[in-house]
Amino acid sequence: MSRQAASTERIANRTAGPPNFFPRMSALAAPTFQDMIRALEAYWADYGCVLMQPYHTELAAGTMNPATFLRSLGPRPWKTAYVEPVIRPLDGRYGENPYRFQHYFQYQVVIKPAPADVLDLYFASLEAIGIDLRRHDVRLVEDDWEQATLGAWGLGWEVWCDGMEITQWTYFQQLGGFDVELVPAEITYGLERLAMFLQGKGSAFDLEWAPGVTWGDVYRENERQWSAYNFELAPVEALVSRFGDYEDECRALLDRQLPLPAYDQVLKCSHTLNLLDARGAVSATERAAYIGRVRNLARAVAQVYLELEADAVAAA
Amino acid sequence: MPSLLLEIGCEELPAAACREAGAQLPPLAERQLGAAPTEVFVGPRRLAVFFDEVPERTPDEWVKGPPVALREKAAAGFAKKHGVAVNALVERDGFLGVARPGQALREVLPERLDAIVRGLSFSKSMRWDDSGIRFSRPVRWTLAKLDDDTVVGETTFGHRFTAAAVEIPHAREYAERLRGAGVEPDAEERRRSIVGGLDDIGGWSDPAGVLEEVVYLVESVQVLDGSFDERFLQLPERVVVTAMQSHQRYFPLGGNRFAFVANGGNPGVVRAGNENVLEGRLDDASFTFERDVELGIDALAERLGAITYFKGAGSFADKTERLQKLVAELGGGDATLEAARLAKADQASELVREFPDLEGYIGGQYARLAGYPEAVSAAIEEQYLPDASGGPLPQTEAGKVLAAADKLDALATSFSLGQKPSGSRDPYGLRRGAIGLVRLAVEGGLVVPRSLLPEEVREFVEERLEGLLAVPVEFVRAARTSAAPDLAAVARLAEELFAERETAAFDGVYTAYDRAHRLAGRAAEDAAPELDRALLKEEAERELAEGLARVEVDGDVRRALESGATLAPLMERFFDEVLVMDEDAAVRANRLRLLLDVRDVLGRLGDFSQIPR
Repeated sequence: MSRQAASTERIANRTAGPPNFFPRMSALAAPTFQDMIRALEAYWADYGCVLMQPYHTELAAGTMNPATFLRSLGPRPWKTAYVEPVIRPLDGRYGENPYRFQHYFQYQVVIKPAPADVLDLYFASLEAIGIDLRRHDVRLVEDDWEQATLGAWGLGWEVWCDGMEITQWTYFQQLGGFDVELVPAEITYGLERLAMFLQGKGSAFDLEWAPGVTWGDVYRENERQWSAYNFELAPVEALVSRFGDYEDECRALLDRQLPLPAYDQVLKCSHTLNLLDARGAVSATERAAYIGRVRNLARAVAQVYLELEADAVAAA
Repeated sequence: MPSLLLEIGCEELPAAACREAGAQLPPLAERQLGAAPTEVFVGPRRLAVFFDEVPERTPDEWVKGPPVALREKAAAGFAKKHGVAVNALVERDGFLGVARPGQALREVLPERLDAIVRGLSFSKSMRWDDSGIRFSRPVRWTLAKLDDDTVVGETTFGHRFTAAAVEIPHAREYAERLRGAGVEPDAEERRRSIVGGLDDIGGWSDPAGVLEEVVYLVESVQVLDGSFDERFLQLPERVVVTAMQSHQRYFPLGGNRFAFVANGGNPGVVRAGNENVLEGRLDDASFTFERDVELGIDALAERLGAITYFKGAGSFADKTERLQKLVAELGGGDATLEAARLAKADQASELVREFPDLEGYIGGQYARLAGYPEAVSAAIEEQYLPDASGGPLPQTEAGKVLAAADKLDALATSFSLGQKPSGSRDPYGLRRGAIGLVRLAVEGGLVVPRSLLPEEVREFVEERLEGLLAVPVEFVRAARTSAAPDLAAVARLAEELFAERETAAFDGVYTAYDRAHRLAGRAAEDAAPELDRALLKEEAERELAEGLARVEVDGDVRRALESGATLAPLMERFFDEVLVMDEDAAVRANRLRLLLDVRDVLGRLGDFSQIPR
């Protein structure tokens, strides 16, 4: 049997992935984790982005934040940037493996429509956090993005810096099964990888978060406890029933033309599925069926959202 | 005549898109400009064509319309179709038409370049603005130079990080100016310098064939080498090679060394960065590997009940049970049975999750680490072979049996669930599996009894023989209906029938079969269920029945044909002297039965009616 059929197709949460790699480079004047975030915030705020804050429910990728997913739909321009903590239960390793976490950070930028110099803007942001583009080998390597749960796809790249993937870059083409009207550029920085690169650290735990405080000080225990919950204790039967409840709630909210709270139910479904996956409670076939259910919800939300957007634009 | 340079500047194109564009550009450019390009440049950030000489004017065109005689009826429609007034139609050689004088190339270049951009098509394309253009990645500039005259655009651009806008003073200076700005625009030139750089380092390999992609991953070639900590050599070798090649596009140099191609940067910095990226990947793989090994292959095998094989086909534990049964039916010994028990264990391993292409190989390694005999470990490793067209077969007997069982189960399971390949749709790779099974039998000498294959599967598998054997398909089709007991025997029979096709014996059997089949084949329902010797009245039919009883068709094909051919003269006499359609229904039915018996006995050698004469 083909490995496609047999292997475990994980729920298609995308990002710049778990932070894996680091360069052996001098750590002279390297920014702390929080300084690096501040530099990105300053750079993109100066460009004119609306600085958003992380979303209030679990997301497996910054893309799923409504500030990206919903705002990328419809005819209205939009520029935003924000930090997103991403939650991927399956990727936890109890804080034992320095390359795998169930909770880490992305920096997400969306510019809609993408300006003609959008790549140059991005490269300048790398310089703003201290990467000398002439000293390093920075390259764009084909990476076509597709997320089944959101009915979304786009074309773009992984950005490599001396062989390390530091960013995922996508021109969205479809979201929720709908063609985008203005093509947005989505820039997703993997913050731990970037920081490991800049600080010359071999493990995310050793990253300097703030002077004298490491990433591990802040989050290692978090990894241990949440891995135990995700893999051993998350209540399977309750999760299965919650999934159905969220699904029903989403439909009910859509009937009332409330796509924003309805979309939160989609996110909760998606995270519930990821927890079930971490508990080993879904077979590959069942997972495909669950993904189909989430995708149908995401499509229905996108449709109602677009209807309201069209009304709002017409009224204006 | 002037020279011409056209350039399409893009954001980084994937390698596959570069190859598509490289194939389409010459004919597309020729169609638009009436001349074949002298040079074609293809790279990640630019597609360009250079013409040593182009005509300064496009050719005059004459669009022929209706005959002059039909002016009343057809002229208006023709004129409208071509967007001209009726009185603008011109008469030439008795026909009306539209004369379009050629234009200065300079005037039409912008639209021709635009048509080339729009004319390129990619298997995956996107839009990025409201121009309506679809392309593999956004087009960011275009440039057209007619000798030293800039007709479209202003400049080109050099290396993304070390050069800025680059003036091209003359079309002929395009490549040279770019080379001065850190860009090698010619893909073949980049390939040469990559291979040259790798040769200078020496000892490189490229088992996954990443060179073809790397040529299109850089505009500037810098070949570097690096190394990683020797402790990672404890990992299975193919895990290390996959991490290097599939993930990083590196070239293994053997041991703990590798080479790679950068697009620029400080060599020391870039080398150090890449070394650490690879070590990070290998370190991560080591975590996974050590956890798997600590568990051991037997514990992994016990977890297979929780992993679905595919919908409706149970778990991998169920698959394992079926494999064990099939392996026994295929005559596998103890080592093969043990290998079947552990064959799918690596599906429960973390390392296969990370390196799905290495399934089987990883299981084999884990079996070795657990101390299983080499015969068992090798069979596990070889179970997916042959995995490519013309790829190698398993080397060990146990491996052949297990590989056949794996394919047989996949086929039988899929077919029973109605998942059959149709047209180009074959999501489970069943065609490849069937070809693999046939090759294991024909080339590998494995006895695969046809009785092990459910009928639909058998049909599907044996159809693969038609493409695989060097004999006309009719002989394969004939042999497929024979009584040959296993797949290889069907193949041998087809080849031998073909080899014997000119012999008298073949002719005799063919004729006897053909005559029996023609007369009795259509009247089968009127035939008696069994031959009744008491009803054989004529000498000729008794002789035929006795002759038939002496015929021996199983075993050596030549002897079988000679034996079968003894029926030819008896059949001839039978048809001369006996009227099959006797008035007595019982006699008639008996004679039909006799002929059918002749056909069926000879038919054990194949259905000769498939072979045209």
